Amino acid sequence: MAAARVKVPIEVYRFDPTHDAKPHYDRFELDLAPHTPILTALLQIRADRDPTLTMRYSCRSAICGSCAMVVNSKSRLVCQTPVGPEVEKHGKIVIEPMRSLPVLRDLVVEMSPFWGHYRKLEPHLITDPRHPMPADRETPMTPVEVERFKETPRCIACGACYSACPAVEADASFPGPMALAKLYRFVVDPRDSARQDRLVRIQTEGLWLCLRCHLCTEACPKDVQPSQRIRDLKEMAIAAQGATENGSRHALGFKENLRDRGILNELKLVRQTMSPLAMLGQIPQGLKVARKKPETMRKPPKIQELEQIETLYRELDDAPGEKAR
Amino acid sequence: MQRHDVVVVGAGLAGQRAALAAIEAGRDVAIVTKLHPLRSHSGAAQGGINAAVGKEDSVDTHIYDTVKGSDYLGDQDAIEFFCREAGPTVVEMEHFGTIFSRADDGSLARRPFGGAGFPRTIYAADRTGLALLQALYERLGTESFTIYEEWDLTSLVVHDGRVQGIVAFDRRHGDFAAIAAKAVVLATGPAGRIYGRTTNAHSCTGDGLAAAYRAGAALKDMEFVQFHPTALLESSILITEGARGEGGILKNANGERFMSRYAPHVLDLASRDVVSRAIWTEVQEGRGFPGRYVHLELMHLGREKIETRLQEICDFTRAFAGVDPVTQPIPVMPAQHYMMGGISTDLHGEATIPGLFAAGEAACVSIHGANRLGGNSLLETLVFGKQAGLAAAAYAETAATASVTPEDLEGETAHVRAMAARKDGEEPQALRSEMQATMDRYVGIYRSPGDLEEALRRLRALQRRYENVRISETSRVYNLHLTDALETGHMLDLAEVIVVGALARTESRGAHTRLDYPKRDDVNWMRHTIARPGPEGPTLSYAPVAYTRWEPKERVY
Repeated sequence: MAAARVKVPIEVYRFDPTHDAKPHYDRFELDLAPHTPILTALLQIRADRDPTLTMRYSCRSAICGSCAMVVNSKSRLVCQTPVGPEVEKHGKIVIEPMRSLPVLRDLVVEMSPFWGHYRKLEPHLITDPRHPMPADRETPMTPVEVERFKETPRCIACGACYSACPAVEADASFPGPMALAKLYRFVVDPRDSARQDRLVRIQTEGLWLCLRCHLCTEACPKDVQPSQRIRDLKEMAIAAQGATENGSRHALGFKENLRDRGILNELKLVRQTMSPLAMLGQIPQGLKVARKKPETMRKPPKIQELEQIETLYRELDDAPGEKAR
Repeated sequence: MQRHDVVVVGAGLAGQRAALAAIEAGRDVAIVTKLHPLRSHSGAAQGGINAAVGKEDSVDTHIYDTVKGSDYLGDQDAIEFFCREAGPTVVEMEHFGTIFSRADDGSLARRPFGGAGFPRTIYAADRTGLALLQALYERLGTESFTIYEEWDLTSLVVHDGRVQGIVAFDRRHGDFAAIAAKAVVLATGPAGRIYGRTTNAHSCTGDGLAAAYRAGAALKDMEFVQFHPTALLESSILITEGARGEGGILKNANGERFMSRYAPHVLDLASRDVVSRAIWTEVQEGRGFPGRYVHLELMHLGREKIETRLQEICDFTRAFAGVDPVTQPIPVMPAQHYMMGGISTDLHGEATIPGLFAAGEAACVSIHGANRLGGNSLLETLVFGKQAGLAAAAYAETAATASVTPEDLEGETAHVRAMAARKDGEEPQALRSEMQATMDRYVGIYRSPGDLEEALRRLRALQRRYENVRISETSRVYNLHLTDALETGHMLDLAEVIVVGALARTESRGAHTRLDYPKRDDVNWMRHTIARPGPEGPTLSYAPVAYTRWEPKERVY
């Protein structure tokens, strides 16, 4: 099993608030087998080169969620990321702390914003006292019902998705992918009685701030697929309450609007999304756009292949499972 | 000065369950933990939790299997209590929200596990610990309590023969603090990192065990160290027993299913001590693969079963060994996995100093005796975590006010200031590595008096060098070098206790196998080892095993 060794240049973000005015990077070079996890490399630096290198780590097997960091610009668990492919692709390994969370020291970040969003969603079973769980035995739950949780029980709350999320970066009130995937886990739980309340509440508490970029799903080390679960929550929220928010109206408006002409009618989309009162506030912005890009103020012509769009919509509307939720 | 009725140290399953019980009993509770609760090593438990809830199964069979698995060193009264609590405990965790795997009829799915007469292990895919930890944390989150997160326990405060609080180090702010408590529950988990080849997390450094021992509490049966048969070759990452429970088989380099020679009836699902010895013997006798390992084969189970029931294992082996278990055998060797011994308690979690309680892997009740059965440790954390929490709450209700003094704090900080002031001295990391190499080489699955004496000589030399340990790091924020130094000191004390106990026990029982005494000796050794600190290292005494119904028999699987 002995493998050839490769030179691994590692640049690590360093910042100690008790000594440093600003962060800097330290460079180390190690000889390692390509399949060596980055965590092992960092621990080797701590043991042999610099015991002051500071980070969180514990299980080294991708289950405790301690060691999420930014590796060559991607949010990853360093215990699960081997050095070889990183060096091959980037020529070196740059390790930085997670994004959107204040740095306490080196690679250790303040996680409380992340946990705060999670706690705010009431992440615990809320049961209906009128329908208590069976005494002295488990609540029956079929394997099919267990499948509805999808991959959300695998979440280890490492924060990689939160760090990767541009919506979090832009707006700290966005709960972030992990909290929403956790919310999904409670919404689909047959033992939970607060499904409707949870869905109604999240409509105004950040659900529609998700940008649907799927970077969370790409970052997740446990394949939880938060963006897909957020999409499910959006569908369930509209089904539960209707399109009451700008976000949900925008989503439905977008769908209808595109069906009409095969191309976005942006002026109409504003009307579909916003209440008349809210639109008044948008007049200055509208005038600015009208000056700069007058074409957006006109109704666009129907596209020629509209029939194909209609076929697509029919197929999607008839797709099994989607409407059942 | 912080002050609470009950301080629970450790926030894994045992600690959280203890805290919940004490909160429900009306006490003011604080949790002190070096990791965020969801990062606890409980979450790494994979295979499942035992409860004899199936129609064909019975609590008596669970009791019998556990007694037999313990090689008759488990206390039978405690084991009876433990197995009777299993069903209600699992149901409670289900009601707290645990997402268990299910059978087609909607009941909890069960899988066979080693040393068990029936499929008795309830599971959540192969992440049962994580599933339980999430549910308990979420349940506990609805209660009100104080948490001191990323604090390292450094010592217990004992005045007037009673534990009155703790001293701990706040990593984030770089301060030592004393916390007064009428009752302290230690749920700090194991000290697996005494070994280099261990499935345990880096955080498993036995801080609570060492603090209890140094305060004069008895440790019990520390020489019994479980080696899990199947750890990934290089990283020693755990491959659950559930892999064999689902039908996985072990093969040597000749392609032989060698377990047929060691456990003809149950083969790969023999008790862990049996399977680990078998693998070790195969490799020693030249039937292992070059690089000294054997194969765990899952391929015949088919992609569907492997990828759903052993999903994490799939990810682990693909990520950490570059092996796809759907198409390739997994290279495995035994690695340190569990400590049967711990802080000696009764079945209410009471330790041997008033005001001190312990639960989970840090404690030794003893229900595991000389060898723990798979699926019994998760159950232990919850059953005895609750008992310890209840007992601590009851004790705190009537106990006089606890007091900690500035001198208690000064003692710890002076010690650390001295370490920090040294210009020359020993690096904690170097001492730790040598300790791990010593334990790996001399205190493994098979033990000889020569090896154990050599280990003791080396460990004592390391302890002397530790007196000159230095902390070269000066930062007050997350000074992990200080944490390294504290942890290494804890583990050196505990390693010595393990070796002294192993040298004294001149028999082979469960996980303790002496080459010079290959047989179990019930006449002289059906008794617990009790270790307390003495002037020249640990002093040993012995205590009887509680016995109810099950006569000792030869263990055959």
